Amino acid sequence: MIIQAESPVLEIHDMTVSYDQSPVLWNVDFTLPSGQLIGVLGPNGAGKSTLIKAIMGLVEPSGGYVKVFDRSLAEVRSRISYVPQRESVDWNFPASVLDVVIMGTYGKLGLFKRPGKREKEVALASLDQVGMSAFVNRQISELSGGQQQRVFLARALAQDADLYLMDEPFAGVDMATEATIFELLKRMTKEGKTVVVVHHDIYSAMTYFDWMIMLNLHLVASGPKNQVVTEELLRKTYGGKLNLLSKVSEIVRKQDFNPLES
Amino acid sequence: MDNFIYFFTFQDLSILYVVIGIVLLGIGSAYVGTYSFLDKKALLGDAISHAVLPGICLGFILAGEKNPIYIVTGAFISGGIATFLTSWLKRNTKLSEDAIIASILSVFFGFGIVLLTMIQKGGNPEMAGLNHFIFGNAIAIVEKDLWVYGGLALVIILTLTIYQKEFNLLVFNPDYGKAIGYPMDRIRFGFNILMILSVVIGIQAIGVVLMAALLITPGAAARFWTNNLSKLLILSALFAVISGIAGTYISFIMPQMPTGPWVVVSLSLIALISILFAPKKGTISRFFSRNKYLKKTHKEHLLKALYKNQELHEPPLTIEKIYELYPYQIKEIKDSIDELFKNGLILKNQSIISLTDFGISEAKRVVRLHRLWETYLTEYMNIAPDHVHDSAEKLEHIITPELEAQLERRLNYPQLDPHQENIPRD
Repeated sequence: MIIQAESPVLEIHDMTVSYDQSPVLWNVDFTLPSGQLIGVLGPNGAGKSTLIKAIMGLVEPSGGYVKVFDRSLAEVRSRISYVPQRESVDWNFPASVLDVVIMGTYGKLGLFKRPGKREKEVALASLDQVGMSAFVNRQISELSGGQQQRVFLARALAQDADLYLMDEPFAGVDMATEATIFELLKRMTKEGKTVVVVHHDIYSAMTYFDWMIMLNLHLVASGPKNQVVTEELLRKTYGGKLNLLSKVSEIVRKQDFNPLES
Repeated sequence: MDNFIYFFTFQDLSILYVVIGIVLLGIGSAYVGTYSFLDKKALLGDAISHAVLPGICLGFILAGEKNPIYIVTGAFISGGIATFLTSWLKRNTKLSEDAIIASILSVFFGFGIVLLTMIQKGGNPEMAGLNHFIFGNAIAIVEKDLWVYGGLALVIILTLTIYQKEFNLLVFNPDYGKAIGYPMDRIRFGFNILMILSVVIGIQAIGVVLMAALLITPGAAARFWTNNLSKLLILSALFAVISGIAGTYISFIMPQMPTGPWVVVSLSLIALISILFAPKKGTISRFFSRNKYLKKTHKEHLLKALYKNQELHEPPLTIEKIYELYPYQIKEIKDSIDELFKNGLILKNQSIISLTDFGISEAKRVVRLHRLWETYLTEYMNIAPDHVHDSAEKLEHIITPELEAQLERRLNYPQLDPHQENIPRD
C-alpha cells in the first residue's frame, strides 16, 4: 500500500540502486509529506541505509530520480541534513566534540573559509539541545556509543535544515535518551521540519512516528502509520523471504558485466 | 666538537641552505603524512615513494644532467601515474588494496632500477651522484635545489593549512562532506597531489626508498603523546625536523654516509621512545598502571579474607594462616600487609592480623560491591547463582561509587546476596 503525499517535500521516482552490480532496492517510488516524523522500517539488509544514501546522492541509482522540495538535490543541499551511521567513522580520530559539531556549519560556510565565533555559538546551542553541553571539549574517542550518536545529532542540528535524514540514530542509545531525542525530533516537526529516521524497533516506531516507510528490497508500504501498519504488510516486510528477488539479484551479480546499466 | 659548532652556527651558507631545506621538508612531509596515517593510507605513501624512481631517471635522460626541475617533474608524473593506477585498479578489478599497492610498488621500482642501470652504463659524466636519489644525500642540496624543493614544501604546508577543515572532513567523514555538497572527489585528488609532492621534495635529501618513513613515522610516533589534532601536527613536524637535521649532520661529518638511513634511524629512536615512555599510551606507563591495579586487587582480596573471617566468628588470622591461604602469592601478600598496615587499615599484634575501623569499612565496601554485582547478575541477567562468583571477583575492584549507587537503586538496597550472605553497609 503506497499512499502519496500532497505537496511532497521528497519525491522518489522509480528508483533502483545496486551495489557491486547486485540490486538492493527495486523500483522504489513514493512521496513524503512535510512536517512529519517519518520512520523507515525493514529487516536487516532491506536497503534502508541505501535508500538514505541514494537520496543524499552518496550512491548512484542505476535508474530513477530523486526530487527534494521539487528540485534536484544539488540545488537544495543546504536545506537537507544527514546523520550517517555511527559505525561509518573512526571515532579514534583526534577531534573534540566541538570540532565534530562545528562540521554542521561547514555547508553554509563553504570551502576555504574557517569557522569563527558565530559557528561556534551555533554548535554550542546544538550541543545544548541534545544535552551534551558538559562534553564540549571532550575527545570523541572517550565517548560512549549513545553520546557519539548525540554528537552526530547535534552536528545535524547545527546545519539548521528543513529536511533531516537520519541513519539508525538510535543504535546504541539507552531507552531514556531515546525518549528525549524523540521528544526533540517531535518538536522539530512541529516547527515544520521533516525528519526521516531509519529505525529497527517496531514497538517504539509505533509510538513515535507519524508516517512509515516499510522496505524489504522493494517498497512494501508508505503512508500514515495507522493506515500502513497492518498485520499483512508487516508480514510482507519482515516475514516472507523474498526468494525470487534474492535469486534474481544473485544472477545479476554473477554476470561479468552489469546488465542493469544502459 | 669543531664540526658540531661549525655545522650549527651556520658560518657556511651552504649548510644553512641544507638545514632550511631539511626543516621545510620535514614539516611538509610530516604534515601530509600525519593525515594519510589518520586516513589509514600509510602504504600508499610507500608505493608512491618507490614509484617516483623511473620518473627521476627519465627526467635525467631528457635533461642530460641533474636538473632539479626535470627531475621533480619526472618524479611527479610517475608518482601520479602510480597513484592513478592504484585507484583505477581498485575500482575496476576485484584485487584487494594491499595486493595492488605491493604490485605497483615493485613494478615501478624495478623499472626505475633498470633505467638507472642503463644510465650508469651509458657513461654520461653528469650521472655522478644520481644514485643519491635512492638513499638521499642532504649535503648535496645547493641553492637552486632549495628553491625548487623548499618552494614545493611551502606550497604543501600552506595548502594543508588553508584547507584544514576540508582535509579533516576527508579523513574523518567523507560521506558527510559529500552530503553537505563539498567536492570530496576533488579534495581527495588534491590530497593525493600533496602526497606525491611531499615524496618528490624528499628524493634529494632522503631518497626514494626511505621517504615513506619520513611521511608516516612522525605522525605515528606523535599519536602516542596526544589526542589533539593541532598538537599532533606540531609534534610530528618537530619529530621530522629533529631527525632530518640529525641525519644531515651525520652526512656532513661523514660524507660517505647517505642521509636517508640516518634520518630513519633517528626517527625510529623517537618512535621507540614514544612507544615506551609516552604517558597513558606508552608500554611502560601501561605496565605501571597494570601493576598498580594488581596491587590494589591483592590488598582488597586480603581485606575481604579478614572481613569474612570476622563475619564467620572464626579465630583471628595469623600471618602464617594468611600465607597458607595464598600459597602462590606470598611475596605479593607480604607487600600488601605492609602497605595496609602503613595506611592504617590493619593492626599487627605479634603475628595476629586484624582490621581497624577504617579497614572494616573499606573491606565492607569491597564485599558489598562483590555481593551487589552477584545479585545483579542473578536478578537481571538470569545467571545461575553458582556462575556469578568469578565475574564479581573481577568487577569488585572496578565498580565506581556512581555505579554502586545505581546498582543499589536498581536492586532496591537488598539485604542478602544470591548465596544468602549479608550485604554489609556502614
